[in-house]
Parts: sequence; C-alpha cells; structure tokens
Amino acid sequence: MASRTHGKEDIAIVAVAQTPSYRAFEETEPLLLLTLTNEILKATGLERNDVDFTIAGSCDYLSGLPFAFVSNVDGFGAWPPVYESHLEMDGAWALFEAYVRLQMGDIDTALVAGSGKSSPGRPREIFALQSNPYYLAPLGFDPISLAGMQANALIDSGKATEEDFARVVSRSRRDGLSNPYAQVAKDVSPEALLKEPYYAQPLRKHDLPPISDGASMLLLARGDRARELSDNPVWITGIDHRMESSHPGLRDLTESTSTRIAAEKLGLDGGAFDVAELMVTYSPEEIVLKNALGLTDSVRINPSGGPLCGHPVMATGLARVCEAARLIQRGEAGRALAHASSGGALQQNLLCTLQASAS
Amino acid sequence: MERCAVVGLGQTKYSKRHEITVDGLVRWAAKNALEDAGLEWKDLDAIVIGKAPDALEGIMMPELSLADALGSIGKPIHRVHTAGSVGASTAISAATLIESGMYDTVLTLGYEKQSDGNATWALGGGRSGSQGAGGSFAPWIRKYIAKSGAPPEVGTKVAVKDRLNALRNPNAHLHLYDIDEKKVKESPMLWDPIHFLESCPSSDGAAAMVLTNEKGAKKAPKKPAWVIAHAKRTEFTQFPGRDTVKPQAGVDCAEALYKKAGITNPRKQIDCAELYVPFSWYEPMWLEGHLIAPENEGWKMTLEGATAIGGDFPVNMSGGVLSSNPIGASGMIRCLEAANQVRGTAGEYQVDGARVALGHAYGGAANYFAMWIVSSEKDPKF
Amino acid sequence: MPKFETTHYTLEYPYQRTTGPVTGPFLTGLRDGKLLGIRSGSRVLCPPLEFDPDTFEELEPDFVEVGPFGTVGSWTWIAEPTRKHPFQEPFAFATIALDGADTPIVHAVKASSVDVMKRGMRVKAMYREERVGAITDVYFVPEAEAYEQKIAKGKGEVGISQHLISLDFEESFAPTRKRYLEGLARGVFIGQKSPATGKVYIPSKGYDPIERVPMSEADDVELPYTGTITSYTIITPVAYYGQKETEPYIRASVLLDGADTPLGQQDLRTISTDEIRAGMRVKAIFKPEAERDFEGIDNRWGGTGGVIDRWEPTGEPDVPFEVFSQHAY
Repeated sequence: MASRTHGKEDIAIVAVAQTPSYRAFEETEPLLLLTLTNEILKATGLERNDVDFTIAGSCDYLSGLPFAFVSNVDGFGAWPPVYESHLEMDGAWALFEAYVRLQMGDIDTALVAGSGKSSPGRPREIFALQSNPYYLAPLGFDPISLAGMQANALIDSGKATEEDFARVVSRSRRDGLSNPYAQVAKDVSPEALLKEPYYAQPLRKHDLPPISDGASMLLLARGDRARELSDNPVWITGIDHRMESSHPGLRDLTESTSTRIAAEKLGLDGGAFDVAELMVTYSPEEIVLKNALGLTDSVRINPSGGPLCGHPVMATGLARVCEAARLIQRGEAGRALAHASSGGALQQNLLCTLQASAS
Repeated sequence: MERCAVVGLGQTKYSKRHEITVDGLVRWAAKNALEDAGLEWKDLDAIVIGKAPDALEGIMMPELSLADALGSIGKPIHRVHTAGSVGASTAISAATLIESGMYDTVLTLGYEKQSDGNATWALGGGRSGSQGAGGSFAPWIRKYIAKSGAPPEVGTKVAVKDRLNALRNPNAHLHLYDIDEKKVKESPMLWDPIHFLESCPSSDGAAAMVLTNEKGAKKAPKKPAWVIAHAKRTEFTQFPGRDTVKPQAGVDCAEALYKKAGITNPRKQIDCAELYVPFSWYEPMWLEGHLIAPENEGWKMTLEGATAIGGDFPVNMSGGVLSSNPIGASGMIRCLEAANQVRGTAGEYQVDGARVALGHAYGGAANYFAMWIVSSEKDPKF
Repeated sequence: MPKFETTHYTLEYPYQRTTGPVTGPFLTGLRDGKLLGIRSGSRVLCPPLEFDPDTFEELEPDFVEVGPFGTVGSWTWIAEPTRKHPFQEPFAFATIALDGADTPIVHAVKASSVDVMKRGMRVKAMYREERVGAITDVYFVPEAEAYEQKIAKGKGEVGISQHLISLDFEESFAPTRKRYLEGLARGVFIGQKSPATGKVYIPSKGYDPIERVPMSEADDVELPYTGTITSYTIITPVAYYGQKETEPYIRASVLLDGADTPLGQQDLRTISTDEIRAGMRVKAIFKPEAERDFEGIDNRWGGTGGVIDRWEPTGEPDVPFEVFSQHAY
C-alpha cells in the first residue's frame, strides 16, 4: 500500500487564465468560464475539440441552486460532446484529477477550471453547512468563527501575535496593488490595521477575505505535447492532498498536520522555492502554513496578494497555481509551491510543486 | 499504464433508512467492501466519493464532515458530482487513481440519504412546480415511442422484469412480490406515458468498492474483476440540433468505451449489463443509445426476453434503478453489480458464466454519460 | 414599467436528520438536560461519535454523563452574529472540555462581556426553555453567570433532528435577462441572434454556447407571438415543502417562429388535454400590462412567469415533427 506524488509522465501547465476577482460580476458564472476558455484556446492555438479532457470545480450551494454546475458546461464548450467531469470542490482538486488522468498516457491535454459566484448569497451562513450536520451546522458554526478560534489558539500557544496577523494583511494588501486580478488592495501599515475594531476577536475584518466572484483555468499537457504547445511550459513536479478531522475539538488548531503530511510525501525542502502561493483565506493561516511547510524567510509568500485580495471561492485554490505558474512562465521564479485548502481552519490541504524544467 | 482491479464490494440495504445516520450509512458500505477485500481502513491510500447535489441532505461538500467516518484522516479524499451519472463517474475517477500508478489501493463510494430531504424539491431548484426527473424525460420517451414504433407494453415489461429480478437481490429497495403487467398498467400515470410502477423509488443507501493494482489483486482473497475500459462524455443540456432521444454524447461514450475494450459487437461480446434505467422506457432507449441494438429496434430485445436473466443480453439483473435509487450511489451500484457478475458472486441473480459486463450511468438532462467494462479476465479476447 | 434591478430568492428546506444509535441518545440527553459522552477505549468522547476517531473502528453505545461544568480552550468573540447563530447579541464560540470528557465540544458561550472570556475559564451548561432534541437545546455560560434550572424530561427517544436550512440570495439581473424581462413587460419577446451561427435563442443567456460567443444588445431580435408546441408533459404534482401545485397540469415548450430554442415551462391550462399535441400552432395572448407578473424569472430560470394570459390555438395545420425535431427539448 502506497501513494506517490508524481507519475511517470511529465505533465506541464501550458496556459493559464484568470478573471479578476469581482465584488459582484453582473453576468452569469458560465460567462466567466467562457471568456477564459476562449483565452486559453487562443493562447495555445487549439480548437475546442483538440482538448482531450475537461474537468471543473464549482459549488451548487454558493449560488443556491441544486445542479447549478450543469450550466457551467456552457462555459467550456461541449459540442460536439466532450470527455468531461466535475468535482464539487475547488478547481485545485480538478487539477489533481487531471494530472492523475494524464498519467494514464493515452491522452495529452486537459482543461482545468474552477469558478464561483459568492456575491448572491451570504457566504458565512452558507459555509456553516460544511460543519457537522448534527453538532455544529445547526449552531450556524462558520469558518470565520473557526478562524477566530484558530487565531486565539495561536496567540495562546505563543506561536503568533495579533501583530503577526496584521503584518500578513499589510504585506498581502500591498502586494495586491500590482495584481490586476486583485479586488481589494491597499497600502496600509500593520499599526493602522491594529487600530481597527475586532470582528471575530482576535480577528478584524481585514483578516478576512473579501466576498468575490471569479474563475480560473489552466491547460495541462503531457510530455512532448507540452513542448509543442508552449515555449515555456511550467512542469508539475509533484501533487498531493490530505484531509483532517471534521471535529475542530479533535484538532490542534495551531498546526496543519495534513499540510505536513503532504509536504513530507512531496519531500519538500522549505527553502528550495522562490515563491509560495498559499491559500491564506484568513491571515493566521499563513503562519500555520509557513510552519507546517518549513518555509524559510527567503521564500516569497503570496506575491499576488493571495486570497486576502480576492477570494473567488472554488477558483481561489486553482488561482494559486495560476499565479505561481505565471511567475515561472515569465522567468520571475524558477521553483514555486502552490497550495489550496478546503473546509474550516485548513481542514483539507493540497500542495503542488512547479518548476521551469521537466526534472 | 497500471491495471485496475475491483477486489471488494460493499452495499447497504436500500430503503428508507430511518435508523441510521449518513455516517452510519457510508461506513456500512465501506466496511463491507473492505471486508470483502480482506483489508482494513489503514490499508487505503485514497478515498473517492460521489453523490448528487448537496441540497439533497443539506450538507455542503460532505467529504469534509464525513472525513472521519470514511477513515480519510491524513489521506487524500475527493468528491465527484456529475448529476445522476455521478456514481459511475466516481468509480471511474477512482479507477484513474490506480491506473495512473500513483495510488495502490483506493476506496470509492457513492451514497444518498434521500429520506433526510426531498429529491423532487431539489430537482425543481427548491421551488414550487418541480416537474421531477420524470417530467423532463417523459416528452423524450414519447418521442422515442413515436419514432421507433414500439408497442406500449415494452415499458410495462421492463418494469415487471426489473422488479422480478429485484426479488433475487436482498439489498434491493422494492420487493414487489405480486408485481405483474396489469398492476403496472393500472398504476397511476405520473407523467404521460410514465406510470408510477414504471418509475424508480426514492431510496437511501451507499455502495462502495475497493480498487487496487495488479500487485494488490494478487494478494486479494477473492477473484478480482478487471477494469477493461471506461469512458465519459458530456454535451450541453439544451441546444438547437440536439437529439434528446439518442444523445450524441451517449453514442460517443459507447464508441470510445468499446474501442478501448476491443469490443466490435457489444451485443455478442458483452455478457450482461447494468444500465441506468430510472424509467422503464430507458432500457430500450439506452440499448439503442449505446449501440447495443440497431436504431428503433432496442424494444425488440426487451419484448423477445433478451434482456431477462437467461436471455442473451441480460440487463439489470440486480433489479436496477427501478428497484433501488439512492441517487448518488445508483451509478456506483451499476458499476459494482457489473463487477459482481464477472466475479461470479451475484448469487441468485448471477448470469451463468458472465465474463464481460457493462456498468453505465447517465445524468442531468441525459447529457452526462459514464460507463465502464469489467471482466473476469485481465485481457479478455473477443 | 417595473425596474428589474435585483432578484431575490430563498432556498429553504426543513431537513429531517435521522440520529442513529449514538447521536440519538446524545440529543435525547440534551432534551432531558444532560450531556452524554461515549467511551472509546480509555477515553470519553463528547460529543459522541459512532466510531473511534483514531482507529475508525465501531464503538459500542456505552454512554457516560459528563459536565455540566467544563473548561474553555480556544474561543472567539462573535461581534456581529449571523441570523443562523444561536444568539443575536454578541457571544463566543469556544472549545469546551467538559468535566469527565477527554475531547472538547465546540459550542456557544453566552457571556455578559468579552472581557470575561479567557482560556481556562469555567463554564456551565444551560438549557433552553423549549428543547427539541437538537444541539441548540444547550448553551454555556461563565460559571459566575450560571443559575439553577429545573429540566423536565421529554418523552421517547429523539430519532429525528430537524434542521431548517433557509438561505437568502440576491443578485442583479444579468443584462441580457434584464432586456428580456423589459420586453415581456411591454409585451414583446426579445431573443438574441448569434453572430457566429445565426441561431436565435430565447431567452438568451447572453452567449451562444455552441461557438462560445458572447452576445450584446446589438444581437437582440424581436420575435413574433406565434409558434409551435414542440413538447409537453402532464405533471401529477407530488407534495413537498414549498410545493403550491396540487392538481395535474401541463408544462409545454413553444418554439416561436424564427427561434431556434423553445420557450420552456409554458402553461397550457386553457387548451384541453385531448387537443394538445406536439406540432400544434399557437399564439401568445399577453395579460394586460398592469397584470403581468414576473415571478420565477431570474438569471437561471427562464420561462415567462405570469406574463402570458394564454396560448391560443391558431387553427393553422400542424407542423410536421421533422420540421421542429431539432428544436424541441
């Protein structure tokens, strides 16, 4: 019994596309995807039918419509019929399945998408439905509350301070200023942030992500096909994801054991990256992740500004991969780590390592 | 490519399960599958689950709250959702994990606990005036009848055949001991031409399989079912030019599947099939839609008894979706029962000498298709 | 004329969760004013699980009473509760290690002020006046704020825990849908003609999916009142939460002349069931402008709401199936 973090086939990202994070996108979710599909096909010179496999992540509950994902098919095209699947998860897990599928060696390309519109609903009420249906969901126990508890646990354990949280926010929001996809960006000092009132003490509103609509997409290709489709393919050197308990009381909230396991499986050396795009949805999570990954100070965290600058749920994790891949494409990074998360207080975590050369 | 073997099967009894939680339901199926495979929770490398919309139970992204119950702590787990086809899509996703060579042993599971919520409500988007699945499919069934010239008793015969098969399957939800054609015809008309007894029930239940590679198969205590091929296809739900009776995605899916398996004559080379038939007329429709019967002649197979146990192409030996429909599990059950047949472990509903079997599911507005072929032989020759 | 700025909807269902052999006794305990843990090896788990969280093996339903006092671990102060939270004034969520239990429960602490909240503080379980066998029956208060309660035992075991999930949504009408609605309001059908394929969609989603081409106002076309019934379903409604239909009714698709997609969800109540057939020619008679209602039309749902009074047979000869078979859903 064993699992591996990469297969025999070399798989690369040959194109990425993202919509900006919108506070409220006036058109429908399929249109978010449609724009990106066209962008990716144009960038690679492919026709729709040249793409062998398509897989997307989205969430019915966000838009309050069972089977909402069905209309998203409009956005990536399905005529003539396509080989396609869907996960009710962040698009980063769709990337996982696509990577695994390409390892079978019989197909060459996979289109991967994640999309979500949080603006119509009240995400805090909706996301409470992820918690235990008997013990927590009826209390409206939501991820923001759990993030507040995690923050306090970090402070009580001496692993972080409110100043640390404010520094994460200040740096992220400032970095967001140079990211065209960012929804919230600002040049603000940690000192100024700490003067704001509490929202879920010890967290303040700025420790939380904005409510966003958006989508992200990328095209994977195998081996020589990747080299044909791109002058600078970004190779995936490993991918792994791990789950933790759904009962917050059974977890040490100051740790991310699932991230640690994934990092071990991947054989990560925390100093060997130029950049790490982490799905830091609440500012304390950056500290937990940095510890779990053993990232040294030489690794630049979230140059995009991260989810604190834009959080298109179900696309946020895949967006981390897009952001990291783009830096490598542009030659601004050689090796990058992308991270995605699902569930409250980092319950489930996915890691993906990327680099400019195949091995 | 690594080869995938099915080495463990587990099912719950399908019915309204008022005595058990969702945790209990999925664990029941998972434990049965593990036991069948001679394995324990710790032996699993990954878990892949599938179910229909979260709003059926009001539990959002349930891989999170089921993480502990499914023994997935510290492990990879992901969740598939492709409407009614999801159970088969999930099995295929899990098979891919094995075939990639990256995972050695995977648990895959589909479930639904319909009795906690209401599927008609969910199918109607939570609004009044839901036409239900039957309401969507009825016009296409009428179109099929008109086009193919099939006599009305075809639907009746399927309804009776599948319920008689279900009497041989202890897990089936419906055990209608006195079912006959008269009862079907006299049952209320729900959506013309679909009678009540030509429709699937609303069930709770879970189905699980343990999948492994060649090395794992050698160690398995029982005979494995080998995954020979799988395919999936999707088209838009609505667009001008769409064939709603014989959707192109279904045709393409079958073609891709047979090509991969080396099958040139599905009716002859496949020994039996578990097709997703939630309304009785879909038996002949999918026989044609997946190229098992010539166009407009699928109904003849039904009338001639070819699709009964003992016929030359038995369909839904387990009783099918018409006898048990825990939506998110229904496609998984089709794949599982196909494996059950080629392992020779189907008991009372075993097809003698079944060597190659087809598992199938469709979903949405008949725009999602997922199919797999399993065999008792690793490399069956046709 | 109506403005069509935003659309609101509520997704609501009262789920009936079966409680099983472990959660059932725990919720029955809450209703009766006590907290139960389950033995798992040498540990006591509260809230109880059906299995050992480390080995995943089944647990025997061997319960022990824990609490009512406990110690707070991590907590957060909810300054602005959501409507789903157990209190509508500020309160805390916290992990609480109940006396006698080895794993903490996560629950609400109703404290007079955030200032009393701290790790290690002692709290006591308090019970709601009205208890229904749900996790919301109990809450916690700082020890100093606790008082004696007399709890009457309920009848029977809690086999079902009801959870009413009600979610509100509000969004702007997408621009194309808005123009379609404005058309209905003034009594005309507005579709869109794809610049890529020439196909005419109504109501259009603002793009042609076949060629993945976004469309704009420039692609809008007005369609006539006449069309052909392409398919229909007679629906015998089943009762469910929120269902208003009680009698059998017909839902039909009508392909307007010049359109490539039919208008779905059309009500043909005024045509007798024996008469209705695919291929029948019909004409839309709109309600008077003031009586048109647009309920049910939003970005995802099309149809014509309560805008059309009736579809009237025109008496023209039927259209053969082959003519519209590609456009009937």
